[in-house]
Amino acid sequence: MRLLSLLTLVILAGFSAGALAATQMVNQKGRKFSMENVTIKKGDALTFLNDDNVPHNIMSSSKGNEFNLGSQVPGNATDVTFKAAGEVQVICAIHPRMKMMINVSD
Amino acid sequence: MPNPGISRSILAVAAIALVGSGIIGFTNTGLGAALVGDTRKVDLDQKATTGIEAIKELYRRPTTIPFPKDNLYTPEKAALGKKLYFDTRLSVTSAQSCASCHSPSFGWGDGLAVGVGHGMAKLGRRSPSIVNAAWGEIFMWDGRLATLEEQALGPIQAAGEMNMPLDQLMVRLASIPEYKPLFSAAFPRDGITPKTLAAAIATYERTVVSERAPFDAWIDGDEKAIGEAAKRGFALFNGKAVCSSCHEGWNFTNDSFHDIGLPSKDIGRVEFVPNVVKMKHAFKTPGLREISRRGPYMHNGSLATLEGVIEHYDQGGVERPSRSDLMKPLGLTAQDKADLVAFLMTLSSNLSPTVVPVLPR
Repeated sequence: MRLLSLLTLVILAGFSAGALAATQMVNQKGRKFSMENVTIKKGDALTFLNDDNVPHNIMSSSKGNEFNLGSQVPGNATDVTFKAAGEVQVICAIHPRMKMMINVSD
Repeated sequence: MPNPGISRSILAVAAIALVGSGIIGFTNTGLGAALVGDTRKVDLDQKATTGIEAIKELYRRPTTIPFPKDNLYTPEKAALGKKLYFDTRLSVTSAQSCASCHSPSFGWGDGLAVGVGHGMAKLGRRSPSIVNAAWGEIFMWDGRLATLEEQALGPIQAAGEMNMPLDQLMVRLASIPEYKPLFSAAFPRDGITPKTLAAAIATYERTVVSERAPFDAWIDGDEKAIGEAAKRGFALFNGKAVCSSCHEGWNFTNDSFHDIGLPSKDIGRVEFVPNVVKMKHAFKTPGLREISRRGPYMHNGSLATLEGVIEHYDQGGVERPSRSDLMKPLGLTAQDKADLVAFLMTLSSNLSPTVVPVLPR
């Protein structure tokens, strides 16, 4: 039973790891990412905050770091932890002028 | 010996965890993907742009046309591009030019519900206007082409449109003696190639810019340039009717993709951005310059009038998972709708006639 509790804790900790590691905020006000380029370490997280007045759909198809936040309404913030080293192109599927590059270092 | 009871429990917890992570992370938390954490609400100290004068500033016309660094403007390129744009010999049948579907006579569209291609067969979508294409971020209704240069070659080669293989077109253009000096003047080092063909057509297209409309005179301070109904329509456009969330800025588009709830089986943008729910039935937001001359409207020409378009937005369209979160019933009054139409009418200029070029022989 103790082993089970421990495992549950480990798994739950894994879920919130992104939140704990989130150090940098990416804003989206005015249909623009607040940074065009950023370098982070493997395992680090970024927080994507929709502080705009329209929904966004932030995502990446870069290999090893794929994610899709779906429709993110104004006022919502979500952490994303990047697990693979390399360049990650992040876009808003709705707004093609929104592009940013994350360099995930080892 | 492993305890089978514990193993089953561990598996169950792991399964719950995986399901949980799927819900939190939407679609992507498989192996080899970034980890999406929980979503939380943040209080935004939003200060929307208020006051009519501040909003008007967002609509001021640019003073120059942007050209990309790898295809800068020259008068020789634009002049050659214009001849190519109007030349029906760019289609396999020598019956269709770019201008057949993107004609200056119809606000640089074709005035039809859907385009007509090779063999007079109907296409699936309406021919978009090329007005102000220089400011485009991405091209085609579904955004499948990244540049105007790529776009220029698309319909020429498409089997359903001009149906002209590029190698065959190069031979044909080379057989028209007067084209050779024009290509040499525009591209001294390269001559006639698919790349120079595309560069010339795109350069000409970038010079097709909507002329000053009554709306621009109002933005510049002439209060009498547009009527009171149009001014009320502008306020609605930026307020209650939420049009400006997508039809943003002087060209009235931010090139965004939305499912606006039109009853259509066309899947649109999702073909090129798979598995993104909101991209199903999503199409690129068109600009609104010269809009009164550009009907019928929408990506499939399904609405004949601007009144019909406004009625569609007021009702909110078909409710489905892909529909944009911005689409919802607006509660516009009959007066609101008339004011919005009055405003849209001020976006059309007194277009000067386009001179059709004499073509090389």
